[in-house]
Amino acid sequence: MRPLDENETTVVFEKIFKFVGNNLKNIVENPSHEGPESDPGRYCFRLQKNRVYYASESLVKRATNISRKSLVSLGTCIGKYTHAGSFHLTIMSLNLLAANAKHKVWLKPTSEMSFLYGNHVLKGGLGRITDSIVPGDGVVVFSMSDVPLGFGIAAKSTQDCRKLDPNGIVVLHQADIGEYLRDEDEL
Amino acid sequence: MGKNRRKDKAIPPPQLPPEVREEEIEFSDEDVKYVEENKDYARFVSRIDTTAINRQCVGEAKTVEDKYEEERSKKKVQQEEKGSNEIQVDPVDVLPVKTLDGKLHYRTVTKKSKLAEADPEEAEEEDVLEDEHILNKSQRRAKAKKSKKEAKKQETEVPEEILQEEETPQAAVLAEVKEELSAEESFENKKNRLAELGMLLLSDPEANIRSLKEMLDISKDENAKIVKLCLLSVLAVFKDIIPGYRIRLPTDKELEMKVSKEVKKTRFYESTLLKAYKSYLQKLMAFERQSVYNQVANRCICTLLDAKPHFNFRDNLLTAVVRNISSPDEVVRRLCCSTIRSLFSNEGKHGGELTVQAVRLIADQVKSQNCQLHPNSIEVFMSIRFDEDIGKRDREEANKKKFKKNDKRNNQEEQNQAQENERKKSKREMMSKIRDEVNADYRGVTFEPDAMERRKMQTETLSAVFETYFRILRKTMFSIGESSTEEDTTLNPGAFGPHPLLAPCLDGLGKFTQQLDLDYIGDLMNYLKKLASSSSVSTTKKKNSKLLTVSERLRCCLVAFKVMRSNLNALNVDLQDFFVQLYNLLLEYRPGRDSGEVLAESLKIMLCDDRHQDMQKAAAFVKRLATFALCFGCAESMSALVTLKNLLQRNVKCRNLLENDAGGGSVSGSIAKYQPYATDPNLSGAFASVLWELNLLTKHYHPAISTMAGTISNMNTSQNQTFLSAVTPQQAFADYSLLKESFEPKSESRKLNNKRKRESGGEGEDDPETDTVELKKKLKENFTILRGIKVDERVRMEFEKKKQSNMAKKKPTKKQCNVEKKKPKSPKSKKKF
Repeated sequence: MRPLDENETTVVFEKIFKFVGNNLKNIVENPSHEGPESDPGRYCFRLQKNRVYYASESLVKRATNISRKSLVSLGTCIGKYTHAGSFHLTIMSLNLLAANAKHKVWLKPTSEMSFLYGNHVLKGGLGRITDSIVPGDGVVVFSMSDVPLGFGIAAKSTQDCRKLDPNGIVVLHQADIGEYLRDEDEL
Repeated sequence: MGKNRRKDKAIPPPQLPPEVREEEIEFSDEDVKYVEENKDYARFVSRIDTTAINRQCVGEAKTVEDKYEEERSKKKVQQEEKGSNEIQVDPVDVLPVKTLDGKLHYRTVTKKSKLAEADPEEAEEEDVLEDEHILNKSQRRAKAKKSKKEAKKQETEVPEEILQEEETPQAAVLAEVKEELSAEESFENKKNRLAELGMLLLSDPEANIRSLKEMLDISKDENAKIVKLCLLSVLAVFKDIIPGYRIRLPTDKELEMKVSKEVKKTRFYESTLLKAYKSYLQKLMAFERQSVYNQVANRCICTLLDAKPHFNFRDNLLTAVVRNISSPDEVVRRLCCSTIRSLFSNEGKHGGELTVQAVRLIADQVKSQNCQLHPNSIEVFMSIRFDEDIGKRDREEANKKKFKKNDKRNNQEEQNQAQENERKKSKREMMSKIRDEVNADYRGVTFEPDAMERRKMQTETLSAVFETYFRILRKTMFSIGESSTEEDTTLNPGAFGPHPLLAPCLDGLGKFTQQLDLDYIGDLMNYLKKLASSSSVSTTKKKNSKLLTVSERLRCCLVAFKVMRSNLNALNVDLQDFFVQLYNLLLEYRPGRDSGEVLAESLKIMLCDDRHQDMQKAAAFVKRLATFALCFGCAESMSALVTLKNLLQRNVKCRNLLENDAGGGSVSGSIAKYQPYATDPNLSGAFASVLWELNLLTKHYHPAISTMAGTISNMNTSQNQTFLSAVTPQQAFADYSLLKESFEPKSESRKLNNKRKRESGGEGEDDPETDTVELKKKLKENFTILRGIKVDERVRMEFEKKKQSNMAKKKPTKKQCNVEKKKPKSPKSKKKF
């Protein structure tokens, strides 16, 4: 386990920024009350075997005691580096993103299943959408009862969405909680 | 007594006997004898003060009363003089004669002085009045003055003799007085003249159209009152005379043609009417610029435009009205605004063209004045009514065309079928043809514009209205905005404040959002977002003219929601930024400075009416509203609590806040602690808090609030969870605002406080003071009585003690001692009193 170097940090932050915008500082500076120390520590990012983990400092301190070969995972895994060297956010970062998301989309109950199978979000399945979405923004997908279902990239702005026909794609699928069942092995 | 005195003074002093020289006086013998017989009685003759008598007879006016008496007598003399010049007219001839044509023929006398004519014509007028029973404003006034004049005339009918010897030094004063009197007379004469001309015109306009010119000439007078009266009376005449159609003057070609007498007469009538109208309007415009006549002229213009918007020259009238729509004079402004509003609502009178023009003119004025106008000028737009489906009709027509094509195809298919269908079809076609013909005829006859034209005009109006609104928005943006330091020279707030037009602009946008095209909505939302968040970007130095007030920002949020809601069929958009703004504005609200009604309305529209709420956001608002309810007075608390109840009823998970679960449990998400000063409701962590404010609110002084807080706290445990509160926050705010404060707290010791509260709310501050004065008096009385009683008791106690001690010492002489001691005691006690 090692901390991220500069390039890696910028890459990770950029990806997260697409989803959370200015709330990034909330993620980075979140005080953590875990552990026996009275002072709240911070959360930090660590790299272990091509995976980026988000854990509190106290946890990290204790994890240094475990050797690199034996350490499987710590804290929350938010993404991984591919062989080619690019960083992807995985579904396990959903909790973190959903709490701080700037752009949200709510799905109608009928189209929840479609999204959970890995399909893109169509306009006909859209219940609500946040204003001021620009194409290319990261969007977190919720159900009508405010349960986060996954996230993706916006294909159209909110304005354009108004004029879209019901079969147009609004959000391109990136990750959803159905993956826990489908891609169990890969996570 | 007073009356008698007046009458005595009215009688002129007796005349001196004619001067006879002393030499010519001859005494007869009888006279001498008579005097000698009655010498005693004749002694007074030697004592006569001839100078005094002379003085009295000549009438030297030394005192003011005598002067006054002289003036009055002088006046009557003059009237007598003139009266003697009058022609003695037989009263029968004074009546008008009706010829066989049905025209009224007045026998006039060719005399130059108007006065002379005034008398017989006055009598005529009376008859005319009796015949026609029409009284307009000027006539009523004329009648009142006339009755006064007649009373005076009756006095002059008493025969009087003329005094010619007034060559006294008071002549100058008398001359002045004469002038005033004559001015007063001429004033009344002119009024009468106006009245009778008006009557003439109203009774038979076509014959008497020339008298219009005379009426207008009167307006060239110097006396301001006469001019005003003249303008108003001409206005009344025109209001009745102007026909229901637009006069078009005949072209040269038509003039050359030979026409019948009647047509000639009508043409002559119309042309004179038009000329007179034109000159009248020109005069009005000239007078409008002078401040003396400003109000009257404006009133005339407005009434004309209101009554006859279809007639010629209406454009000029309209420009004048619109020019005054923002004048600093409130009366004028209100007149103009109401005129324009009535124009907008009574479109039938002028067929919609004036609406377009008026709107265009107002838009131009806004542009030229750089948005520094009185808010009333834009509020008139709220009275415009658009057909609901301006844009949609185009789409429907396009659809219809498509359908028609389909129908044709269908028709072709159907023709292959049985012949019965053809007969039916031909019948249908016949019916539709007939209907079309009828419609065409109908349209030709009615004054209403064609549907197409109407739509065109409405789209033009709409575009002008929106142009104005967007200009105002843009200007507000610039003044707040992005260029901060050097452009302050343009930012001097005008007479109406920094952003006077913003509030009515936003209201208008809220009303007309349905007409707005989807393309513009995005732009509009951007603007509104920037406006709503204006204060956060500002520099601290130049706060005053730049920032929008809390009410204005609330209004921006309101409008944004209204826009979004009216375009719901397109997409359900969650306006996150505006929620953030509302969340922060709740903290910045101050009851005196900001409008509570706007706040209540925004609470209702943004929170209560919203169909689906984000859980974190709703919880954050619940917590903040509870804190808000603690800080302010009854009205705001009530509206906040109503909204709170609404939110809790709809979002079941928010009821966690009612439980004492400090960590927020599983619902709180990643934020473990409540951040009370967070700017974003989503990040406030409200789930981790508890609504302890409700406990405090159950002890509120107002019973309604305490019960409401109680019901909310018990919401989780109560059986009946399906009731919906019918009260909106706006209603709650209105009901509980201070003006309607009418409850009484139960404790009696605070009754006086209550009275003061109630009275100070309604009537002012005097009543509490008088209460305290009375109170003091009563207390004083009470106190003296109490004191007296106490003193009395004390004295009695002492007496009893002494009595007992005496009894202990000297038993046999009890009675004596008592008697003795009682006597000195009683005066003592009296002294103390």
